[in-house]
Amino acid sequence: MGVTDMIKFEHVGLRYGVGPEVLSNVNFTLEPGSFHFLSGPSGAGKTSLMSLLYLGQRPTRGLMTMFDQDIGSMSREELKEIRQRIGVVFQDFRLLNHMSAFDNIALPLRINGTPEKEIKDNVIELMEWVGLGDHQHMLPNTMSGGQQQRIAVARAVITRPRLLLADEPTGNLDDEIGLRLMNLFDQLNRMGTTVLIASHNQPLMEKFKQHKRLILDKGHVELLTPKKSVKDKIRGAF
Amino acid sequence: MLKFAKNTGILGVSHDRQRYDLPLDKDGGSLFLKILIILMTFLAVLALSGSYVLSAMKERWSSGLENKASIEISAQDAEGNILTPEEINNATDNIFHFVKSHPAVETVTIMQDEDIAALISPWIGDNIAFDQIPMPNILTVSFKKNVEFDTTIFEGRLKIIAPQARLDTHESWLKDVLRFTNALKFAAILITTIIGLITIISIAGAVKTRMEVYHEELELLHLMGAADNYIAKQLQRYIFFSSLQGAAIGTFTGVVMLLIIKLAIGQMDMGLLPDFSLTLTQILSFVLLPVFIAFLGALTARHTVLRVLRQMP
Ligand SMILES: Nc1ncnc2c1ncn2[C@@H]1O[C@H](COP(=O)(O)OP(=O)(O)OP(=O)(O)O)[C@@H](O)[C@H]1O
Ligand SMILES: [Mg+2]
Repeated sequence: MGVTDMIKFEHVGLRYGVGPEVLSNVNFTLEPGSFHFLSGPSGAGKTSLMSLLYLGQRPTRGLMTMFDQDIGSMSREELKEIRQRIGVVFQDFRLLNHMSAFDNIALPLRINGTPEKEIKDNVIELMEWVGLGDHQHMLPNTMSGGQQQRIAVARAVITRPRLLLADEPTGNLDDEIGLRLMNLFDQLNRMGTTVLIASHNQPLMEKFKQHKRLILDKGHVELLTPKKSVKDKIRGAF
Repeated sequence: MLKFAKNTGILGVSHDRQRYDLPLDKDGGSLFLKILIILMTFLAVLALSGSYVLSAMKERWSSGLENKASIEISAQDAEGNILTPEEINNATDNIFHFVKSHPAVETVTIMQDEDIAALISPWIGDNIAFDQIPMPNILTVSFKKNVEFDTTIFEGRLKIIAPQARLDTHESWLKDVLRFTNALKFAAILITTIIGLITIISIAGAVKTRMEVYHEELELLHLMGAADNYIAKQLQRYIFFSSLQGAAIGTFTGVVMLLIIKLAIGQMDMGLLPDFSLTLTQILSFVLLPVFIAFLGALTARHTVLRVLRQMP
């Protein structure tokens, strides 16, 4: 499937209720297979932008294109299919506390109807990869923040999504596991997944400075490519 | 039946997986719904059996009297003069021949003097020489079932043959009884319907509350691209099994209650009430009631869930 624009925002605005615009006149394009960081000060609207991308809400104005399709004109069925192609790591994880770590990670596969045998093999393999191989039956709320985050990441990548959105996926993790997860994202990206990671983590972004950055500030987005001398500009944004 | 529903997946139970994505079986709110369904089914059993009993009563009363009439040929003429036995018997014979040849009449018999004596003995005593006092004659007539005819014209013809003849069709009495039982039956059916409606409304309410409680979980499933159907099936299955359980308990309790009532009535020996035994269809209706309520519940749940989900972006 030849998608030319994975994500395209044209004059997109978002406000909550009658409040001020959290995002105003946002314009950017992400090509398929690209890898971007989304950075910006706290409260800049990173999570809000993410929520537009995972179709958790609709923009209050502007045009949003994903997988070359106008989101505003899509049917429920089409939106459902788009959602199944997106993996999301939520900033607050959103794990289901009544089911085991295993079942949490298996959920997207069950939703898209994968056979149970296949689910078992895939989930166990991935849990071992993120270092939670012997935590299959634990309930998320009995696990540490870092462990919960790894479950959230595993759940987001288990379907090998075409688009991966991760909101602060390395916030609660020590450097070693943080790097391990970044390598996981890199590997997915090399297999064709478009990746967008919202992050505050300067050292981490420095380590992966080959990736482009979207800088969000006061509701606007600026795209910085590594070729330019970005360091000063980014410093200014924090 | 349940097994079939399970295997075909119409209840959302697939791959033998008894797992809910929502923490449905872990909350106490369902107890309220279950108790409500128990109560409603219990009442439905009583109302339903009430309507069955009324049907049986109506059947019994009307089948004894419908299409039947009696003709009395009085021992006095219209002016009050006592007639001789010969005159009475002549009039009776004439009437008998007329009635017997009437197209709407199935059978006609002349009541024997002994039978009449038995009827009137409570009023005039046993030791009576019937050949000494003039006795009325009574003919009992049964009409053919599907033949329409005018009883007033029929009675007019009788009066021409013998002016002292009187036709009694039990009609007005029967009409009152039928009107009465029909009204009761209507009330029973109305009560059953109201119970059904209340059940549907409470299930819908319970599902809505549940969806508010689990809003975050539902939204998550939705964001992961779960089809509305996938989510609906889970609540549907959950409501199906909890209302099946509740309805089964309610029906069982209701039937036990009926048996107790039956025993009590049996001891009272009330001749007017019909036998309390049920037909096979009626017994089947009690067996199917819980299943019906469970399906009704599942359908209501499905409808409610889909409506709430449609409001998500
Ligand atoms: N559900 C909401 N209702 C109303 N306002 C909201 C809501 N979510 C976010 N906001 C507002 O939108 C703005 C952007 O918030 P957002 O969470 O998108 O920022 P962020 O960049 O993700 O911040 P952080 O780095 O701290 O996670 C904030 O001013 C916040 O108060
Ligand atoms: Mg945020």
